[in-house]
Order: sequence, then structure tokens, then C-alpha cells
Amino acid sequence: MLSQAERIAFIVLTVLCLIVAAQGFRRIFKIIGRGRPADRSDRLVSRFAKTFLDVGLQRPMFKTRPVASLFHAFIFFGFSFYFLVNVNDLLEAYVEGWSTIGGGPVASGFNLLSDLLSVAVLVGMVFFLVRRFVGKPKALEFNANVKLLPRVRQGGVRIDSLIVGIFILLHVGSRWLGTALHLADKGHGDPWLPTASAAAPLFSGLSPEALETGSHVCWWTAMGLIVLFLPYFPRSKHLHLMVAPVNLALGRSTPRGESDPVIDSSQPGATALTDLAWPQILDSYACIMCNRCQEACPAHTSGTPLSPAALEINKRYFVNEAAVGLASGEADGNLLDFATSVEAVWSCTTCYACVRVCPVGNEPMMDLVELRRSLVFDGETPDELAEVLRNLDEKGNSFGQSARRRARWTKQLDFKIPDARKQSVQYLWYLGDFASYDPQCQEVSQKVARVLHAAGVDFGILYEGEKSAGNDVRRVGEEGLFDALVEQNTQTLAECEYQAIFTSDPHTFNALKNEYGTTNGDHEVMHYSSLLLELIRSGSIELTHDQGGRATYHDPCYLGRYNGGFEAPREVIQASGVELLEMPRNRENSFCCGAGGGRIWMQDHEDLTERPSENRIREALGLDGVDYFVVSCPKDLTMYRDAVKTLGHEGEIEVRDIVDFVAEAMGLDAS
Amino acid sequence: MNIIVLMKRVPDLVEDLEVDDTGKALDSEYLKLTLSEFDDHALEEALLLKESGGGKVTVVALDDEGVDKMLFTALAKGADQAVKISGAGNIDGNLQLARIFTQVIGQQPHDLILTGVQAADDRDGQLAPTVAALLDVPCIEVVTGVTPGEGQVTLHKEYAGGVLAEFEVDLPAVLGIQAARQTPRYAPVSKVRQVQDSTTIERVADASGSVSSEFEVVVMTPPETGEGAQMLTGVDELLEILETKGVIG
Amino acid sequence: MSQDVLVVAEHLQGNLNDTTFEMLGMGKALAGQLGGSCSVVLIGGDDAMAGQLGAADSVVRVDGESLADFNPESHAAALEAVVGAKSPRVVMIGYTSMGMDLASRLAVRAGMAHAASCIAVAGGERIRATSQIYGGKMNVTTDLGSGQCVVSVLAGASPADAGRGEGGPAPESMAPPAVAGRIRFKGLIEPEAGDVDITTHEVLVAVGRGIGSKDDIEVAEELAEALGGAVAASRPLIDAGWLPKTRQVGKSGLKVSPKVYLALGISGAPEHLEGMKGASTIIAVNTDKHAPIFGVAHYGLVEDLFDVCEELTEQIEERQGC
Repeated sequence: MLSQAERIAFIVLTVLCLIVAAQGFRRIFKIIGRGRPADRSDRLVSRFAKTFLDVGLQRPMFKTRPVASLFHAFIFFGFSFYFLVNVNDLLEAYVEGWSTIGGGPVASGFNLLSDLLSVAVLVGMVFFLVRRFVGKPKALEFNANVKLLPRVRQGGVRIDSLIVGIFILLHVGSRWLGTALHLADKGHGDPWLPTASAAAPLFSGLSPEALETGSHVCWWTAMGLIVLFLPYFPRSKHLHLMVAPVNLALGRSTPRGESDPVIDSSQPGATALTDLAWPQILDSYACIMCNRCQEACPAHTSGTPLSPAALEINKRYFVNEAAVGLASGEADGNLLDFATSVEAVWSCTTCYACVRVCPVGNEPMMDLVELRRSLVFDGETPDELAEVLRNLDEKGNSFGQSARRRARWTKQLDFKIPDARKQSVQYLWYLGDFASYDPQCQEVSQKVARVLHAAGVDFGILYEGEKSAGNDVRRVGEEGLFDALVEQNTQTLAECEYQAIFTSDPHTFNALKNEYGTTNGDHEVMHYSSLLLELIRSGSIELTHDQGGRATYHDPCYLGRYNGGFEAPREVIQASGVELLEMPRNRENSFCCGAGGGRIWMQDHEDLTERPSENRIREALGLDGVDYFVVSCPKDLTMYRDAVKTLGHEGEIEVRDIVDFVAEAMGLDAS
Repeated sequence: MNIIVLMKRVPDLVEDLEVDDTGKALDSEYLKLTLSEFDDHALEEALLLKESGGGKVTVVALDDEGVDKMLFTALAKGADQAVKISGAGNIDGNLQLARIFTQVIGQQPHDLILTGVQAADDRDGQLAPTVAALLDVPCIEVVTGVTPGEGQVTLHKEYAGGVLAEFEVDLPAVLGIQAARQTPRYAPVSKVRQVQDSTTIERVADASGSVSSEFEVVVMTPPETGEGAQMLTGVDELLEILETKGVIG
Repeated sequence: MSQDVLVVAEHLQGNLNDTTFEMLGMGKALAGQLGGSCSVVLIGGDDAMAGQLGAADSVVRVDGESLADFNPESHAAALEAVVGAKSPRVVMIGYTSMGMDLASRLAVRAGMAHAASCIAVAGGERIRATSQIYGGKMNVTTDLGSGQCVVSVLAGASPADAGRGEGGPAPESMAPPAVAGRIRFKGLIEPEAGDVDITTHEVLVAVGRGIGSKDDIEVAEELAEALGGAVAASRPLIDAGWLPKTRQVGKSGLKVSPKVYLALGISGAPEHLEGMKGASTIIAVNTDKHAPIFGVAHYGLVEDLFDVCEELTEQIEERQGC
């Protein structure tokens, strides 16, 4: 279809753009390569196969924002198909007489798809542009105190979106228009090109020359834009087309609750961009700047300076601007200068929501933990945190209380719990700091003990031998202290005889299960909800008094999102005869109470608008006729009881532990 | 400026304290020792002085079972040298301790000697003025904020109610620190371990010939709680009391 | 060596502190036991102050320009000179900021026995002093022997009224000894003018470490408002910067004696007790039923202070018809 001059011109244009684009892409490779090592080379085929399926079905997108994800699916399928469409366009341009119109079944099928998908893409793109520029959803904005690079603050993401949006509209639009002109030229529609056929009559008044010129213009607009867009890719979030599937495929295959080991122990953590492992740098190129992570983030929701989205976006804008120097190895940047602020770093609760929700497999939380590691190594911690760490080091608990008092809660019981250090037990109960020292949580511990005792379970505790498992010590970045605790606890456990461990605390559960590695041997690690369910199912616990009432269950981060433990607590609640209602944000989408990541040891940020726990209670109160807010984590218990008080809803909703229902349903005397 | 920080370990008050069978001392079975809080502030102030004006910080402590960790932590925080004094035997008071410290101090260059304003086990006076009297140098207690000068320092001394007095003191001098300018910094465990592997604590033998005080403990008892508080059962009773006291109408 | 007791008067900004009078009361009793007299030494100060020391059997004044303001060097030297001249059996010095600069130095240089943080002194052939140590968790009695001794007395160990008295004998003057001038006084710095003078309030709602976070201070403030009182705090909260220094109650803070002192989340360390022991009614709220404060308080409640504050405030506001 193209003239000889046009053909040559197009080839020249393409070559030029490819050269420029290649330079940009080469720099990206080099920059990512400057990151610290990480091994993601295991089972490459199955990794990419899984990603192919995930991306093909758009699963990562649909975790949240169903409407936007639907319109994105239009664009995704449309654009994926457009690869073939563009190949066809090239053939039409360079092969005389090539056309799919009026061809056989394959060609017709191709035409139908390209016609419908063109409209789908246009509709999708219009939706997104209207959403961003007219609807201006709050989700796409950042808290006032979030650190943003100047170009981001001046609306860099909006500009990028506009450029990409206009590019897509023009590219797809002009191609679709070209087809319409072609049909107008032919004088009749084509049943396999329904929408183009519908538009064709609009142009029937034009002369053949005009139509010919028009279709050349359309072709050049469509194909020219693609080629011209190539050098823009390295700088745009649109790069996610290529990077996201790679980022998803090369994601970590270790359990969620297993932290990355320290790469360089003489310089732990990350200060500069290149201190991050290369997948973390790859993240910034994959980021689509959709702010889903920010929306899910309890720290950002409560008004603090932390935004995981801003973190990745700042990184991307930084690597864009400093690309030349970064690629050549001359330049680097301090993360606390361009990516995020110290306050933001300490605001993270390590709830994993940002990592879980990201459609392109980004892990902003990991950056924050690496930053913490390096800050802690330099002794730069918030004062309150330093005191807690010293307490953990000297006394083995975060409360600063005597280690001797760890098992004081057992004094209220009218039976003696076996000492697992001295006799073998079937189940070794690892309580954790809160379940041992906090007065409210002690009551729950006592109830658990009574329930298990009544059920005839053979269990024991470590008494003063138990120390904090160190889950949150690791998450605030104190690797040395964590190692020390692991050493001590491992030794204590090694001298005991038991078949399985169960914990009161999801944080302890996560550490023992995922972070203590093979040092725990083959012992199973359970959360007490699983043990309770087992006992109920086997009949050791008989639930004879149906409880009634309506409850909603809050999935604790370290049991639910981190370790997939959703159903056991729910079954326990329902087995007690209570009706279960689900909050909108449940299971993997559960909203953190705000205590994790050492936050419970630190002061609230002065800009705090509303605590995450209060936000969650309001969500629960939105459920019709709910009586109970049920938790299965000691920290949740204290956070949510406080929140109910602060919000002034005492009497309207009661915060209970799952064991409360079990005890009552068993008819145990003590309450 | 050569700064020496004297560090003392005292019983951790978080633990339950009991009197032993002699009735004159603490039961050592469950006794846990920890660095005296004000000595930590003294170390912090010393490090801040070194960071702003240069100098060398030496920490000195008596040798006992747990002192290594404390000294390595001080080194990890930025101290230059750590010295532990061994062979001193049982110490029964600050006078005996001061004599031991003074003898070691005398063997080192010293411009400024810092230690905590007081400690939980101060039975026979405070360490800072005792050391100063033995060395015959000036001493000021309850110091917050030290600014170095030429052969002298300027400092603030705290009185009750927040009133401060500013003094200039010629060096060498001993200061009893109430609070450093910022909270004592954190020394991460991994750094302490690094220091442990790369540095050694200097060990010196006690040559002071210091002996226990002739002024012995007669008896040690927990304080009588008297009638103690009348325990209430709830807020309602509290309200009643406030009413009877005429605080609320 | 005489069997006399010498009390060291302490003053700041023109006022003798209560400890001076407390020690005079104790000193007189002790002197009675020893069969000697009780004198007081006033270093610096003015005639008005000297006139308040009538409870003592004799007054020694050491005055001079160098002694106008407290200076550890000149005051310690002056004290040493007086002790050298009078040779008392017992020297009583307050366990205070100024006292710490004087006591140990005197004891070492004069070769005298020394007991600090004392709440009681018993006389006889051998002097016995009882010190409160380990954060108030233990009392230890030391045998100070039959020679001279220095006793650093804890504030509030004895009633101040027993030591008050006007008039008295004309003071004896002693010249201040020369000093090397290694410590130089530069001036006093007043704390920032506070919004509130807690020493004038009848009701104080005091908060301690049990308060948890800075935000919780709000509940205390609401309660204080409902009660028409003010919020005070123990040292840790002041150090953390959660409240200004003018709100600090304790040894290094202010001494208060309100009608009602509500101690919330305060454990009751001696340094804090020193500042509020004089309150008419002390009500303590703490989740730790073993907290030392319950030994000093008149009423106690083992409950979460947040709950108590909220409920109290609510009930009071209801009664007041708010």
C-alpha cells in the first residue's frame, strides 16, 4: 500500500528510533545489574508458564479494583492482539495487494477480533483518562507529608498517563479509522468489521484520492506512533508491558514470611539505590503507578508519610533522570534522599498488603526493611525502639519486665502446666511476649490453658526459658539481635522433647515456621486456631452450648496474608454456633491493625489522622447487627479493644478471641 | 581532649529484690546486673563531646561476669578504648570503688572524667565527687549539657524546679551527668559482635590496695509499707473520695 | 570532736529550702540523743534567712562575695573550714543537687564516714544511719562508727515544721577561705515561663511511664480540666519531651502539696515521691499491684489508667451537667 519512498522512509525512521530506544534499554539492563545479587533462576520454565497464565487471565489485576481491572483487560487483550494487527499492517504496507478483508475464515476471524478489540481498547482508554482527569479519584493522590521527587510532585505521573493515553487513542484510533476509510473506499461494509463498517458511511462523501490520502495518514499515524514511542518506553510507566511479566516470573519463590538474608554483613541493609537486590531495582521499572499498594497500606491510610507507591515512583523517576550516570557506574543515589523519608521507613507495619496487591509483582515493603537494617546498623533508631531492643536483648521480652515473670499468668490456674524443659510433651506451647505479659492477653492465655486442659491435651510451656521469637526484631532491621534470639531459642528447644509446637501469636508462628529454618527440625508449627479445630473435629473438645450471635473475624496479617491460615479460625467460630459475617476487606485483603513491624513499640506519628485499628472497627460496625469482633492474635486484641474504646463504641461491639467462644461453648466454668 | 567514663553495673530494679540469709545484702541468686542508667548518659555525653570537638573516650569498669558485653557495647557506640579492672574482690561502696578507679585514672591521660550523677546502690555517697576528692580536682554533680573550651568546660547544673546554673570548670575535672544532650544511642548487636571480633578490652589489675569500708551494713530490709493504700474496687469509689475531699460538687 | 550536730542550710534564689528545716528537726533530735547541741551553718544567704534558723542552738555564717551564689568549690571549702573549726560529730547535708557537691568531698577530705539518701539517723556511742536505696526497694542501715560522720538526708525524711523557728542567737561569723577558682559561676537560667504553675493547683493529675504514648496525655488533660486541676508528670515523660519541664514533679523537678494528687501510671520511685509526698490525699492508679506508689498513696486502684480517666471524666461531666 505504501509508496517506495514511504517504505524507505518508514524503515529509516524505525532504525533511528530503534537505535535510540536500544540505548535506553541497554542502560536499564546495566542499572538493574548494579543491584546486589539475588538468585531467581530456579525452575525458570514453570515460572514463566505460570506468569503466562496469570497475565493471560489478568489475575493479578483483579485482586482489587474490579471495574478498572475490567477496562484494563480490554486494553490488555486489545493491545496483545494488536501485535498481530501491526504485523498485518506492515504486510499491507510492504506486500502489494495484501489484505485480510474478504479473505477466508482465519482472515475474517482476525478482522472481527481486531475490530471489536480496537473499540474495547478505545473505550478502556477513554475510561482511564476520564477517571484520572475528570473523576480525579483520591486513590491517585498522596498524603501531604509523603516525600515526592519534584517532577513527581509537579504531576509527572499525570503527564506520563496523558502521553500514553493519547498515544493509545491515536494509535488504535487511527488504525480503526484507517479501516473505516478503507471500507468507505470499497463502498460497502464487511460483516467481519462491524464497528468500522458502521463508521464507514460517514466518509462515503469523500473522493477516492481523499480516502487514499486519509488511509496513508492513518497508517503513518498508527505505525509511526509505535515506532516513535519506542524510545519513550524506557522512561515511561508503559514499559510495564515488557517488564511486568518478567518481574512476575522472577518473583521470589520462598515463603512470604521468610525474610531475605543479609547480603553483606559488614554493611547490612540498603542506603544507596545499588545496595538493593536487583529485583528491587527491577520493581521500579515494572511499576504501573496505579497506587493500589498505597490504598491497601494501613500506614498511608492513617495519614503517615509512608506511601509504598511513592517509594516505587520516586525510584523510577530517579533512575530515569540519573540513567546515564547510573548505567556508567559513576552515579548512585541515597534512598533517603530521593525515594522516601526516615519517618516513612519507621511507619511501615510490615503487613505485606502492598506486596500482595501489586499487579506487577513489586515488593516495596522489602525496600523499607532493607532501609531499616541499615539505619539500625548505624544506630539510628527512634528512641522508644532503642529501649525496646535493649529490653529484648537483656530480658528476652519487649516489655522490659523480668524474665522470671514470664509465666506468672499461670499462677491463676488451678492446675500446673508441665514444664516442657523438664519433661516431654506432645505439644509445646510457645506463647510470645504479649500472650505472656500483657494483662488482657494473659486472660486469653489462661482460657486457652483451661480449654486444652479440659480437653485432655498433653501440652507444656517453656516458662522462663521462652524468649521472644524475634519476628518483629527482624522486621525492624535488628538482624544481630534476631540471630542472637534464634540461637538462644533454638538451643532451648533442642533440649526439649515434643511432637509439635503451637503458638498463641501469629508473629511467633511466622518466625518459628519460616525464619527458624531447619533448626526447628521436622517439628510441625501450628497456630492455636488449628489445634483448636483439630480438637473440635476429633471430639476432644465438645461444643455443647451453641453461642448464637453474629461475629466478624479479622484475619491477622502474619497468620492470614503471610501464611494462608484463613479457614481454621472461621471454622472454630462457626462450630461454636456463631453466625459469621465477612467484612469487605477479608482474608488476603485483610486490613492490618497497625501493630506489626515494631509499630506497637513506637509512638504514633504526629500527622496521624486515624489509627488503622480504628479504621477497621468502623468497617466492622458497618456490618448489619454484628455483636462480636473476633481476633486470634494478642496484639490484635489489645489494639482493637483500645480502638473500640477510643471510638466510643463500648457496648456496641465486643472484641473477643476465638477461644472465648470455644470456652463458652464447652461450658467451662471460668470465663 | 581525653575523656574517661566510669561505668558501674547495679542491680536491675525491674527484678524482684530480696535480702539474703545474712540479712545485710541482696540475695544474689536471681540478681541481674545492668548498666547504671546515668552512666549510660555519661557515655553518651562523652561520645557527643568527642564527635563535636575531637578527643579520645576511654571507658573503665570493674571486671565481673557480664562486663565484657557492656564494654564492647560502649566500643560499638564509638568509644576508643575499654579498660576493665580485675582482682578487686567484693566492693561494698563507692569509696572503695573510687579508690580503685582513681588509681587507674592516674595512669592514663585524663582531662575530663564523666560518670552518672548517682546510682541505685549509692549507700556511702556518690562516685563522682568521691573520685574528684581523691584526685583533688573540681567536681560538679547533676550536669546536663557540656561545652568544651580551652583547658576548661562550660556546663549546666540542674537544681530543683528546672532552674539551671551555668559554670565554667578548669580541667581536669569530674562531672556527674544527669542527662546527656540526647537519649543514649543504640548499639546494634551485630556491631557489638563485630567489635568483639576485632577489638580487645584492656585488662589491668587493681593495684589500689583498696579495702572494704570499716563502716559496715548492720541490716538491710525492704521498707515497711505502712498501712499502705486503701485499695479501691472501681471508679465509683474513686468518685466518692473525690466528692468527700470537696474536689467535685 | 564534739557531740554536736551541724546542719548545712541550703538556699536558692533567696529562699531556704524545706530540707534545711527538715534536717534541723532531725538534727535537734539527734543532738539530744548524743548529748550535744545542734548548730546550723549558713554559707552565703542573707540576714533574713539567718533569722529563720532559730530552731538551732547556734548559727554559723560564712559570707562573702564569692559565696553569693552556690559554687561547689567555694562552698565546699567554706564548709570544710567550719567543720574543721567546730569538729561536729555529725554533719547533715541535704541529698540534693547542691548537697551532692558538698557531702562526699567533705567526707573524703576530712576522713569522715558517709551515708547517703538517709531517712533516719540514730545517735549513741555509734551512729546508725538508714539509707533508702535500690529505687526505694530496700532500706539499709549502716554503722557509722564512733567518730565523725556525714549524713546526706533525703528530702521529706522528717517533718519540716519541727525545724522551724524564728529569732535565735546571733550568728557567729567566719571568713570564707581562699580558693583556687577552678570553678566559676556564670549565672542562673530560669526555665521557660510555663503556662501553668503546678505548685499552686489544688488538684493535680500526674502521669508517669504507664501512660503509653503521647496521645494518652489528652485523656489526662481532659480529666484535669473536669476536675479544675492541672496535669503534672514524672521525669521520664519530661525527658521524652512530652510535657514541659514546668510540669515535672520530683527530686529534679518541683515539689507540690496539693489537696489531691492523682498518680496515674507512676511506679513511685523515691525521686518522684520526694516531690509529692506532701499531698494531702494521694490516689494511685497502676496496673501493677506491686508498684511502690501503693505504699505511699492513701488510696489505690489497680486498673488501666486510660479506662479510669475516661470513666471519671465522663461521670464528672455528667454530674456537672455538661
